[in-house]
Amino acid sequence: MIHESAIKLPFSYAAGGVGSRFLIALRDDQTILGARCASCSTITAPARSFCSNCNRAVNELVEVGPGGTLEAWTDQPGTGIFGLIHLDGADTALVHRLTGSDAWQPGTRVMAVFAEERTGRITDIEGFTSEGDST
Amino acid sequence: MRPVAVIGTGQTVHTKDRVDVSQPELVREAVDAALEDAEIHPDDIDAIIISNMELFEGRALPELWVGEGAYGTGKPVFKIATGGTSGTSACIAGFHQAGSGSFDTVLVVGFEKHSEGHTQTGMALVDPFWDRAVASGALGNFALSISQYMTERSVTQVHAALVAVKARRNAANNPYAHLQMPDLTVDKVLSSRMLAEPLHLLDMCPQSDGAAAIVVSSGETARTRGKAAAWVHGATTRHDQPYLGDLDRRLLTTRAQRSAAASTYAQAGITDPLRDFDVAEIYEPATYAELAWYEALGFCEDGEAGHLIEDGVTSMDGMLPVNPSGGVLSANPVGASGVIRVAEASAQLLGRAGARQVDGARTALATGYGVYAWSDVIILRSEMP
Amino acid sequence: MSDQQPEYIRTTIELNVSWRYASGDPMERFLRGIEQRRIEAIRCPKCGRRYLPPRPFCGRCKVRMDEWEPVQDTGTLVAWTVIHLPIIDGRTGEPRPSPYGMGLIQLDGADTTLNHYLDTANPDHLTIGARVRAVWRDELHGAMDDIMHFEVLP
Repeated sequence: MIHESAIKLPFSYAAGGVGSRFLIALRDDQTILGARCASCSTITAPARSFCSNCNRAVNELVEVGPGGTLEAWTDQPGTGIFGLIHLDGADTALVHRLTGSDAWQPGTRVMAVFAEERTGRITDIEGFTSEGDST
Repeated sequence: MRPVAVIGTGQTVHTKDRVDVSQPELVREAVDAALEDAEIHPDDIDAIIISNMELFEGRALPELWVGEGAYGTGKPVFKIATGGTSGTSACIAGFHQAGSGSFDTVLVVGFEKHSEGHTQTGMALVDPFWDRAVASGALGNFALSISQYMTERSVTQVHAALVAVKARRNAANNPYAHLQMPDLTVDKVLSSRMLAEPLHLLDMCPQSDGAAAIVVSSGETARTRGKAAAWVHGATTRHDQPYLGDLDRRLLTTRAQRSAAASTYAQAGITDPLRDFDVAEIYEPATYAELAWYEALGFCEDGEAGHLIEDGVTSMDGMLPVNPSGGVLSANPVGASGVIRVAEASAQLLGRAGARQVDGARTALATGYGVYAWSDVIILRSEMP
Repeated sequence: MSDQQPEYIRTTIELNVSWRYASGDPMERFLRGIEQRRIEAIRCPKCGRRYLPPRPFCGRCKVRMDEWEPVQDTGTLVAWTVIHLPIIDGRTGEPRPSPYGMGLIQLDGADTTLNHYLDTANPDHLTIGARVRAVWRDELHGAMDDIMHFEVLP
């Protein structure tokens, strides 16, 4: 016997100190922030509280992108096309949607496209499009 | 198990809503405090254990997101997710790891962001065929068991209210506690809002955001450091059957607790708990539960718990101070609450409990309790075993 | 830098996922019985304990169970409460309508107790030891809430 059961519950997560600054920069300034570690100089983007390399607390936020280089991509039927994007100035890559084409090549230059209505979520970046296609 | 010791503890201030920190940031606060108390560097940590429940917080793999907050990149990071016992079971897992010879220094950190999720509902999200439709949830489960307990053990609402008064007045000495009520009275408890009969609002634990961490080291390291340590003399975990209805009058029989206590008391040579322990931090989500635990832990005979609280035996100036911190009744970030018990018991032995210090404490009891009847019992002493 | 309080962002996401769980044979037999307004318990061959919900193993004896016994839909109330602070029903995201009664019922023929809803039309009648009976829904689907609640017998 198979029983189908849903879990349907709203959750309300705090973005916290660094996370809020990152999301506010997307919303208000259409700017992508990375976190620069004072200890090992790694720039983690999107910015988060602790260095991805050495885990020290990070306070200094720096602008990265909005352009970058596509490292890899995949097309998931039903979900969409996603890419691993190495933003200019960052040491880590970011996963996000790719728009404007069905087929991609690693190494392609891409550019962030911001949503017109932004609310302080990662989807304030609508996706990344080929740099040649963006105005 | 080889000797192990708690060499440092840390906590956040537990409160209703920490919107100013993400889950990893909350964890980092407690971890930094514990590392500072232990006087060790993050690089000295060999393994990390995280205590938190997926569905209480509504996100998969807590250790993935918060691992960085616990300096976990490149280290082994394990998770324990066992409801109320999560924190104490995580500490016991830390004891086992540090005692195994494979890891020398282990960090254990528990946390909860109650403000973000639905912990009470989490308890009714278990068996999809049964509990989701008809289980009572955490509050209802306690209320049901308490209706049986009151009837058979001659415990009254006033006895329960005395526990609440002791807890929140003790919490006034604890800078980390969520609820501090130095002027609480029995009348105020009994006139507070009814949540689930017979539980009033002030009979129940709060819903807190908070984190707590301990650092455990091998006995060799603890000994050669030459600094104070709280040594582990016994630790036992016991689980029980999966439905509330399986547990014959659960607060009366308390079989998992009695079994865990018997095993741990034997490990540590405890024969007269009320006199052998100098201080106890026991996990009491509701006032009546503390009374049931007095009986289960052998502080008194069955049916005598009401007298124990009436006579002040478990007050700060009584024979065995129970929950100088204010207990779970004063702060309940569930994933952290068990770690808090061990941290508080350790701080008592390390002489670092500030205004809530029990003078001369050398033998401490810490317990965890969760889900329907899971139980942890831990005994710590100032001396090496 | 201004002296204002920094803005902290909260991100609200509704978790809405469904799963298809396999019941296993004992639960399937039990729930098919419920669909026929029939309640059964599974019995341990070693200790004789009659369990519901059913499950394949007796946790105490660590032996497999496959013997069944009929259980009445009447029983005795061994614990009760009236809940004023409802939980959120995790299947819908909505709070349960409150106040609502919950009890532990020793059904005639079972050794475990059943945690289920209680009719609170006459809350004064809710006492430990009261005799209760299941109130079934008109349409049965083979689920535990095919029983709406238990009512206290006069």
